Amino acid sequence: MASSVSSQQDQVLVEAISSARILTLNRPKQLNAQTIQMISPLLELFLAFEKDPNVKLVILKGKGRAFSVGGDVAAVVRDIRADDWRVGANFFMKVYTLNYLMATYSKLQVSILNGIVMGGGAGASLHGRFCVATENTIFAMPETALGLFPDVAASYFLSRLPGFFGEYVGLTGSRLDGAEMLACGLATHFVPSVKLPMLEAALCDVDSSDPVIISSIIDQYCEQPSLKEQSVYNRLDVIDRCFSQKTVEEILSALEREVVHQMDGWISATIQTLKKASPTSLKISLRSIREGRLQGVGACLVRDYRMVCHVLQGELSKDFYEGCRAILLDKDKNPKWEPSKLELIADSTVDCYFSKVNNEEWEDLKLPTRAKFNLPPYAIAKL
Amino acid sequence: MDRALQRTKILTDHLFQSSPSSPAQTPSLSSNACLNYSPPELSENYAFDIKHMRKLIDGHNVEERDWLFGLMRQSKLFNPKVRGGKVFVSPDYNQSMEQQREMTMKRIEYLLERGVFRGWLTEIGEEVQMRKFACFEVLSIYDHSIATKLGVHFFLWGGAIQFFGTKHHHDKWLRDTENFSIKCSFAMTELGHGSNVRGVETVTTYDSNTGEFVINTPCETAQKYWIGGAANHATHTIVFSQLNINGTNQGVHAFIAQIRDANGNICPNIRIADCGHKIGLNGVDNGRIWFDNFRVPRENLLNSVADVSPDGKYLSSIKDPDQRFAAFMAPLTVGRVNIAVSAVYQSKVGLAVAIRYALTRRAFSLKPNEPEILLLDYPSHQRRLLPLLAKIYAMSFAANYLKMLYVKRTPQSNKTIHIVSSSFKATFTWNNMQILQECREACGGQGLKTENRVGHLKGEYDVQSTFEGDNNILMQQVSKALLAEYVAAQKRNKAFKGLGLEHMNKPCPIIPSQLTSTTLRCSQFQMDALCLRERDLLNLFVADVSQYQAKGESTERAFIMSYQLAEDLGRAFSDRAIFQTFVEAEATLAAGSLKDVLGMLRSLYALICLEDAAFLRYGYLSVGNAATVRREITKICSELRPHALALVSSFGIPDTFLSPIAFNWIDANSWSSVEH
Repeated sequence: MASSVSSQQDQVLVEAISSARILTLNRPKQLNAQTIQMISPLLELFLAFEKDPNVKLVILKGKGRAFSVGGDVAAVVRDIRADDWRVGANFFMKVYTLNYLMATYSKLQVSILNGIVMGGGAGASLHGRFCVATENTIFAMPETALGLFPDVAASYFLSRLPGFFGEYVGLTGSRLDGAEMLACGLATHFVPSVKLPMLEAALCDVDSSDPVIISSIIDQYCEQPSLKEQSVYNRLDVIDRCFSQKTVEEILSALEREVVHQMDGWISATIQTLKKASPTSLKISLRSIREGRLQGVGACLVRDYRMVCHVLQGELSKDFYEGCRAILLDKDKNPKWEPSKLELIADSTVDCYFSKVNNEEWEDLKLPTRAKFNLPPYAIAKL
Repeated sequence: MDRALQRTKILTDHLFQSSPSSPAQTPSLSSNACLNYSPPELSENYAFDIKHMRKLIDGHNVEERDWLFGLMRQSKLFNPKVRGGKVFVSPDYNQSMEQQREMTMKRIEYLLERGVFRGWLTEIGEEVQMRKFACFEVLSIYDHSIATKLGVHFFLWGGAIQFFGTKHHHDKWLRDTENFSIKCSFAMTELGHGSNVRGVETVTTYDSNTGEFVINTPCETAQKYWIGGAANHATHTIVFSQLNINGTNQGVHAFIAQIRDANGNICPNIRIADCGHKIGLNGVDNGRIWFDNFRVPRENLLNSVADVSPDGKYLSSIKDPDQRFAAFMAPLTVGRVNIAVSAVYQSKVGLAVAIRYALTRRAFSLKPNEPEILLLDYPSHQRRLLPLLAKIYAMSFAANYLKMLYVKRTPQSNKTIHIVSSSFKATFTWNNMQILQECREACGGQGLKTENRVGHLKGEYDVQSTFEGDNNILMQQVSKALLAEYVAAQKRNKAFKGLGLEHMNKPCPIIPSQLTSTTLRCSQFQMDALCLRERDLLNLFVADVSQYQAKGESTERAFIMSYQLAEDLGRAFSDRAIFQTFVEAEATLAAGSLKDVLGMLRSLYALICLEDAAFLRYGYLSVGNAATVRREITKICSELRPHALALVSSFGIPDTFLSPIAFNWIDANSWSSVEH
């Protein structure tokens, strides 16, 4: 049944083995960057599997050295330049719908993060039940450097990390390895990549939809990785003191106070990273994470959709286009942000990103109805 | 003996038996016909924008509130517990009193480090005052002890320094207070005197040889009592005492006193004892203080209204001791405002929990084998909870009005602030206890678990009807003030102005003999009915008091005798004043679903007020009309039922600050969630 779908959609490969379905993101040269041709079939497949009583488990992985680097932003920007920003909005609408479906999925999703996982790639995996990291995993939410913000309901999962680590990861775009993902709770398991084929075989073999059983199977291949000595996760107390501050400006001055106390390369580097990011992105990202901490995953996605539409529309700021130009297209790595400084951004401008888009045809994101599915407790808890 | 053996056997079996099988090994346990938790979010719709509604009822500093909620959620100090896959924070009330007090202090230090109190005493203006109110509302949602401890430090001590003190006091104390270099308390109440502050028995004299004041506790009833912070932490306090200069009593004055050194040792000439365990608020270290010839420097007198010269002369710009006392007490209003507005937030916690539970808990089916009925689908359950929801919406608008009244205060508005804050403080806090009790019962047995908050909050917040002015006394002051307005208007033959009494200048409204549904939902009718009651009760009260006076009773005695009318009048004033703020808030909105829902709530609030016995007692409503009102209430309740979830979601209280029964209470109580 499922294989017939796969033949027409080569950006997603589908294998059916007993009651498991293995989906492989298949754009290895582009590090599995997500396009509408990848997201649409994924959405259809997930919807179909949920209704199919023969399916109990969905395994999601990426071909090549990345799980997925996230949305193919360069392509989205090209489309928008050629057409209307609403083409881009439509892409994000599908992405967010998929995120919601995964977060509230009534069946089990196991994502195997054996490589790069960034932005939308994190959105397509971390909302699911189990995430397996390996020694090859590199995770980041790099959006603030691009004039965007951590979307895909990252405000839900980042804000729930210990202390204020989520603010740190979301604002600086800091990279985490597999051990760090496991330590902070972004990954549920760590399996050395050599054991992945065995793990997959075992998962396909088990024919169960019980999360306790699936978890114990993954456990059999797990290893306890050790954190690097220099790991940011060993700096949680500094991160907590600084990134818990009320505003981006206060976070920066808290970091600058820390530098005075201890000459530390890491703190100066963190300050530099924040100073290079789009000031508008920093402000809206912080606000988004703070709101997300108190909201369900659905509300986070509705907010992300509002925000991303404002970003694409470009009326409040064109930083996203400038960021894409400087980082992805011209690659001069020298974006000219506008406004150029944090203090030039009015609170009322930040507020606008969180309000409805002033356009007659525009509507808030409509989340797919989940009432008829018997949602498992861990999905209910995210509502 | 048999019993003992039997118990031993049970225990042995228990210990040696293999642990009961986990659900993993018996999946059939979860997949049979058991009840499922069905999240209300998936079945209920939001007919209006709940973010917009939240902004309207929170009124201000929404982002600041969320930041503070987040700060608490992310710290282990706030005792996070996972239940049903969600994190809930609430103090561990099972800790000993001493442990709870230490935790309160640690939480305060954590918030201090994060900059929550930045500017609270060193900045001036409306913005920082509103910010403070917002933070207190949020903190009081977490725990009354932390809010009270901070209230004593910032509002009572800090406010006294700001308002009773002069520049050198401000320079010396405000920054140190804001960054907690000193820990402060406020020693006003005594064993023998609470509400009657003018009767305190602590005595202070002046020693011109040393330039010091000498404070004494002359008798046991003069011991300072309930002094928050005094038992463990406070290093400083403000002592309220009679000031005796050369044998003349100049009335109550306030003195700064250091009661502990930097190492926490009690200073000489002071004795301190603990007030002990309480029915709630055990995270606050209330203590008792005795002073034995305790000396403080002359400049420790808070001298904004009166001073003593180095050679011991009493100096005051206000000659009348009554006025001097009133000027003294005025700053305490901020505490009252704060209590009133935070009471509304406790009720919000109770209602959000009880209504969410009622949207997921079922009981009894109409026919065998039919699904059981959702609690909130019972008209009786709607009738219990939804009118309370309407009250809380009304009181939210009234609270916002009160806060604005306070921060925009002028010397001319002091009287209004005193009356409105007294009336709202008493009304909101009484109402809060009733709401929490109803919500506790509506949650059934689950309401009794401390982790579910609703029942426990009653004990924690009970004190609100007593501190910062006993509710009954405050309400008497409201009636007295209204009577004074009446007398003043009559004497000068002038129209009523202020306190919303302008309606007294118009002809008396007439209630139609046969009320219809349309009339009952008309805001003009609702206002008329509430004004009619207030107007008539004020007339009756004035008449009653003057009748006693005509019989030769003193004015004071006449007030005491007319207490029943005074109580009815106080309630009439509050209800009308609250209603007015609702109407004004509604008027700011454009037509739409949000305004429609608020219109229903406003009508429900008004009709609940019309159920007050006074309407029948004094004949404002006929028996027939009273029955019509009652029927209409049921109807509005059923119309509000579909909006119940949206209305409690609009409170903006994060899930983390509600409780397990408000969410997946089946999973929260499952065997797998038991700590084995």
